[in-house]
Formats: sequence, C-alpha cells, structure tokens
Amino acid sequence: MTEFSAVYYDGRTSARTPVRVRALDHSLHLVGAELNIEVPFADVRVDARVGDTRRILSLPGGAQLHTDDHAALAALFPRANRLEAWVHELERRWGYALAALMLIAGAAWWSVTLGLPVVAKWVADFVPIDIEARLGAETLYALDKSLCTRSALGADRQQALQKLLGTLTSGLNDRYPYHLEFRACGAVGPNAFALPGGAIVVTDALIKLAQNDPQIAAVLAHEIGHVRRRHGLRLALQSAGAAALIAALAGDAVSITGLAVILPTALLQNGYSREFENEADADAFRRLKAIGLSPKYFAEIMMRLEDYHAKTGGRQDGDTRDTATGKGALDYLSTHPATAERIARALANQ
Amino acid sequence: MDEPGRKEPHLGGNPYAYPTAERAAINVASAPAQADKHRSPVVFTASAGEYFRIWIVNLALTILTLGIYSAWAKVRKKRYFYSHTRIDDDGFEYRGNPVAILKGRIIAVILLAIYSFAGHFSPALKIVFVILLAIAVPWLIVRSLAFNAFNSAYRNIRLHFGGTYGECFKVIVLYGLLTVISLGIGYPYLKAQLIRFAARNHHYGTTQFEIGSLTRSFYRTYLKAFGVLILSFIVLGITVAVLSFGLRVGNRGALPMGVGIPFAVAGYGGYLLLFAYLRARISNLTFNAITIGPVQFESTLRARDLAGLYVVNIVAIIATLGLATPWAVVRTLRYRAGKTILLVAGGLDSFVAGQARQVAATGEAVGEMFDFDIGL
Repeated sequence: MTEFSAVYYDGRTSARTPVRVRALDHSLHLVGAELNIEVPFADVRVDARVGDTRRILSLPGGAQLHTDDHAALAALFPRANRLEAWVHELERRWGYALAALMLIAGAAWWSVTLGLPVVAKWVADFVPIDIEARLGAETLYALDKSLCTRSALGADRQQALQKLLGTLTSGLNDRYPYHLEFRACGAVGPNAFALPGGAIVVTDALIKLAQNDPQIAAVLAHEIGHVRRRHGLRLALQSAGAAALIAALAGDAVSITGLAVILPTALLQNGYSREFENEADADAFRRLKAIGLSPKYFAEIMMRLEDYHAKTGGRQDGDTRDTATGKGALDYLSTHPATAERIARALANQ
Repeated sequence: MDEPGRKEPHLGGNPYAYPTAERAAINVASAPAQADKHRSPVVFTASAGEYFRIWIVNLALTILTLGIYSAWAKVRKKRYFYSHTRIDDDGFEYRGNPVAILKGRIIAVILLAIYSFAGHFSPALKIVFVILLAIAVPWLIVRSLAFNAFNSAYRNIRLHFGGTYGECFKVIVLYGLLTVISLGIGYPYLKAQLIRFAARNHHYGTTQFEIGSLTRSFYRTYLKAFGVLILSFIVLGITVAVLSFGLRVGNRGALPMGVGIPFAVAGYGGYLLLFAYLRARISNLTFNAITIGPVQFESTLRARDLAGLYVVNIVAIIATLGLATPWAVVRTLRYRAGKTILLVAGGLDSFVAGQARQVAATGEAVGEMFDFDIGL
C-alpha cells in the first residue's frame, strides 16, 4: 500500500488542508482535518514532472493535491504523461545535456554553413529582377554619397568598355540589364563592385592599373558572376538569417545582450563572401574562355592588384584585393580566398 | 522567447518575478501601520544547474522538431520557474496549454512573414500593415495579459485579467498621442497609466488588485534619470573639449583613435546604469503601490545591484557563447524574488475563486513575436 503526505486545495478558497493520502482498491483516500474523501484513480490527473518541482494532482470538481513525494506518484501512476516523463528523464542527466549541447552545436554549424545558403538562394529566386535593381540603385546612391565622385574617363573610353561588357554578356540570356557605372573612388583604390540587378561599378584607378583590355575583361567577367548568381542579395539574406538564428539561440538572455549577436554575424559574413568569390572566379574563367580570352589575364590583373597594395601598403578593403598569406583556420575569416590561390587556379584553367 | 529574465514580468502573470518598487526597508519598519502584518518573503528555489539541463534538452528537442516542440519547451520552462517561486511554502502553478501556444505561434509566424514580405514588395502595403498593427496592439496586450493571468494559479486559485480593448486603446492611443505631441513630456504619465491599467484589472480569484497613483512618483523618477543624462552629456562634452585642446598642440588634428574607446565604455556603462535605475525604481514604485485584499508588497530592488547583475550576465553569456544564459536568468530571478516581501494582514487562506473563461494564446504569441511588452 502506497501512502504519502500532501496538501489539499479545494479550488474554491485559498485555504490549505494538509492530508495523508492512502492508495487502496484503485482509489485515493484523503484524510485530514474535517476531510475524508475517496477518489478513483481514473478521475485523477497527474501533472508531468519538471525537475524536482512539486507535483500537482487534479481531482474531480477542480480540487488539487500538491505533494513532493515523487516516488509514490511514480509507483501509483507509472504510465502518466509518457512523452513528458521521457523528456524529464533526458533533463535529469548531465550526459543527455551534453548530447543536447553537441546536437545544438552541430545543427547551428550545419545551418550556418549549408542550410542558410540553400534557403537564401531559394528565397532570392523569388525576388523579381526589378526589385533587385532597385536595391542596387540604392547601394549606388549610398556609394555616391560617401566614397565616389564622377569619373574622369573620356566618353569614348567609357563607350568602348561598355561594348567590352556587351561582348562578355552576349548570349547569357539571363535578362539582367548589364551596364558599367564609372566612378572615381579615391579611398577605394583600383576596384570593381557588382551591384544587385546588373550594374557594375568600375573605379578609374582600376582602368589605369590594367595594362590592356583583356585584363579589364577578366575583372568584369568576375563581377558578372556575382550579378548572375545574385550574390549581393544572397549575402544580405544569409547574414540576416544568421543573425536571426543566433538571436533565437541566445534569445533567452537579458535584452541588452544584443552585442553578442553582432560579433558572430560579422564573422560569418566574411566566410560567406569568401565562398561567393570562389564561385565568381570559376564563372569568370569560363566566361573568358567563351569569348576567346585566356584566364591568364585574370592572373595578371590579380598580380598587379597585389603589387599595387604591396606598394601602397594600403589597408583598404576592396573587392579584388587580398592577403596572400591567409591560409588555414584563419582563412575562413578573411573576406577573399588567398590571392596566390586564386592566381594559381586561373593559370591552371588556361 | 519567454524567459522572465528578459522581459519585465506581467503583473500576476509571472509571479515568480514580482515587479517592483523601492521603499527603503527602514521606512517600512518604522511605519506603525505595518507592525501587525505578517512578513512573507518570496522565495526562489530554482537551481541553475537543473535549469541548464532543462533549457538545453528542450532547445535540442525544439531544433529536432523544427520548432514545433517550442511550445512544450516554453511551458516546461515556465512551469519550472513558477513552481520554484514560493510564498509561504506554496509554489505558483503555470497551466498554459502547449497546443494553444503552438496555434498562437503559427499565427504569429504567418503574420510576421506577411509583414516582412509586404515591406519588400510595396512600401504602401507596409504602411497599411503598420496601421493594422497599431489597431491590433491594444487587443494583443489585453489578450496576452488575459492568457497569462488565466494560466497562473496560486493555491489552486487562478488569476484573472478583466481589462477591455476600449480601455487599453484609450491608454495607448490617447496617452500615446499625448506623449508624442508633448515631445515625450507625457511619457511618465503614459507609463503610469499603462501599469495602472494592467494592475487594477487583475484579480486573484474574486479579489481585485488595487493600485495607488503612480504619476507623481514616476515623474520624479524619470526627471532624475533625465537630469543625470543631461549632466553626463555636459561632463562628456567638456572632457572631449579639454582633451582635444591638449592633444592638438603636438598632433595638429583630430583625436587619436584610441581615445574613443574609454568613451564608448563609459557610454555603454552609463546606459546600463540608467536602464537598471529606471527598472529598479519603476518596479519598486509599482509593487509598493499594489494591494490585493489583505496583501501588500515591499519591493526593494537596487539600481546598482541590478546593473552589476546585468554586467556579469552579459560578460558570462558572451564568454560562454550563450551557455551561461540559464545561469544568468536564474540569478536574476533569484535576486528579484529576494527583494520582494509580502506584508499580509491575517493570512493567505481567505481568497475565493472566481469564474474564469478560457483564453486563446494568439494574443500572447503575436505580442511575443513582434517583441513588445508593456514592461511592468
């Protein structure tokens, strides 16, 4: 016979009645001061156990029994709340907590490296090109407001380069209105950016740095890759997704921990853009070959860029610049794959 | 998410972290009217280790079920904290139904998706949605308070929230507009009215909460905070000016980069301190103004304690990549409970249960998703 102590609350007032509960003939017998009740097991609902918190038994008519005697309840109602009883078993042991931790870490890693990029690509495919173009126009406006001014390049030269872009994009059949935007962006140095929607910004310094048009074509081919694969939009979506994910995981904390979300998001963004650079490079090699140019021009312009940055010792962030040394674990943190690696790949693709 | 450490608890809805107000212990002790009252402290008995296991196992299950389990996770975590919040050795009880919460969350996710997509495709649509949301906000607040109250019980007597949409609309829209028109001068009044609305519409069983006027004390608190803010801006301005004079002699130019860092640290620290001050004061003032039948409160949160708590929490959470979160939540709740005492005339035995109607969880879930709470 199981017997335990409990407190009885009738559900009508907040008065407490300590009782002794005996289990006899499939019924609970409650005995206390001015109280003697018999309740069949079938009418009793036991709450699921959470940690070592006090258990509550709901009786017919809205009354309750509260007790700390977990052993007695386990003996009397072994089959109650099967699912949550199983969850409780998981919550009780540090081993399962460790397993849960590893699962969470694995899931976080998986979604950041594989899941999010796939979802972002899927979502990006739903965004119409004209909306993408509007995003690009806004970015260009911001550039004009902050870093860039009108190009000093002659109209003839500009037209010739637009034609070069036309050659590179002919037959792509992807509905993007490709066009070049020439700008003088002093602080940025020799550089080119692909904006969402088809605009490609080229700085005067890049035109000056290139020894010939095929080298410029190599850079443009790389930027076309960014446009076609919607890298700008996808990067924005992936970063937003990563921020949301981190916020969801750490979201239980006090609200002023927003700082904890920003830092990892910035690191992840670096990793993402590095992968996009590799994709755009591969596209560029293919594109160059399609119009009869060798990917060696890509290697050449990369070397010139590297020389330029070595000479100026500039620490500017640029689209085609990179450190030749970033290898190994730190490689994931650097925006672009190591330049030497990219040059080697271009030469191997000749 | 739903941890009480993150949001200020709703009145009665989150009884384990009773709101607050500062009434120095000495004052209370010297007040003769309180002498015949029995002092019943709020005791928080949760352990960080146990909660960590609950937290992480439930998070893993949520991920494995692609979020569906999150409703059950929320209920288990809430039940753990409610039950460990004890008055007179009796714990609180959370009765939220996971299925109801799941339904609410699905609706909230759909609304959030519509909201974010609407903005991308057409700004006009977004404006329409924002207007709709403004109309819905009072409803969400009322539903959210009602759901939490309905699912909170102590000694098998439920809480009940009887506030209406109309009354909530009046407070938010009318006093909200007043705040905007008065360039913020009306804000303490808005806050006081909102808290009064939330408090006096709560019932424990049939016993309605009463709450004294908060307007004057809120104005005093916000004025003080504002004064400190202005003063620190002036001090900061003078410091920057003095520094730039001093350094310009040798350097002929802008301040060197490193000088900014101490200012950033001081600024963030100051913000934290002000945040903690307002939270402690507003909480103390609110709780000390509330009467529930024979029960009054003595809440003595201190700004510097809260600020210290927050700093340690933030550092610990960042250093452990979030794993210290359960510990941070538990210690914050323990502190708050430890600074809250019930002053009871007679006993807690004579409350009578009332009629309560079922409440859907939609309002609460949507409010949670759009991240507004009325901050009691």
